[in-house]
Amino acid sequence: MITLTTTDHEPTDENLVIAALAGDDGAFSRLVGRHKRRVFRMAGRFARDSDEQEDICQEVFIKVYEKLASFRRDAPLENWISRIAVRCCYDALRSRKHEKNHTPLDDVAYELHDHAADARNSAIEMRDLLNRALARLKPDERLVITLQELEEYSVREIAASTGWSEANVKVRAHRAREVLKRIVEEINGN
Amino acid sequence: METESDKRLDRLFAAARAGLTESSALEDHFETRLMARIRERRSVQQPWYALAWRMLPAYAGIVAIIVVCSITFYPARSADMFAALTGSQEDTVVISYLAGE
Repeated sequence: MITLTTTDHEPTDENLVIAALAGDDGAFSRLVGRHKRRVFRMAGRFARDSDEQEDICQEVFIKVYEKLASFRRDAPLENWISRIAVRCCYDALRSRKHEKNHTPLDDVAYELHDHAADARNSAIEMRDLLNRALARLKPDERLVITLQELEEYSVREIAASTGWSEANVKVRAHRAREVLKRIVEEINGN
Repeated sequence: METESDKRLDRLFAAARAGLTESSALEDHFETRLMARIRERRSVQQPWYALAWRMLPAYAGIVAIIVVCSITFYPARSADMFAALTGSQEDTVVISYLAGE
């Protein structure tokens, strides 16, 4: 079994992958430590709360662990992990689509009060407005607009992460933006 | 052409990009929690019936081999009675016919 003991140099991702595949849990743990920030950031864009964010991140790294043998080392590991993260976030969005219209009335009352009372142009208010608008998009629309506008992925990167064609990504992104504009106007009008 | 609603949307995106929720508290000891969950998953033995479906290609292969063997070595009996009676005896039948028996 290959184990990673203290060395002068930090082992590369590739070395850690080889060690993890040989059964070294410590190596996998180090890989997680290196890449978790990016995954947490991505999950934070889609999760409703910190519990869901943690769940998504755990799901991502469990998939990484289970599929590590299929990782082709011709591309950086972080790109591969990002692709898995995008798919897990998309799965999380799709799994909640049946429950999105079940916001408790207490929450609605709180939101209305909150937005009426607070200053209109504060950054928090803007983020909150965008989150509420994003929550009303379909999973694929939300995914594509989040990756493009918030994570600043290129069309090619989105296509690689989602498995959609570049033309499809452009169409979906355009459509999502139009829908989002309409929703934002609707929320502002109320 | 960029409309007012496009500009408003871009301002919302800029605000969201600038203000990402801090998750460093959540990231603390994440590896420990994750590895505990992975070890737990590893230690749980899968029941035989959960693995049975994975044998489906093998089952399909066995069935295919049986079908091929049965067709090759045990051909279907002919519905024609003369053919059935004279199966594998063509030479004898021809000689008998030519000899006028």
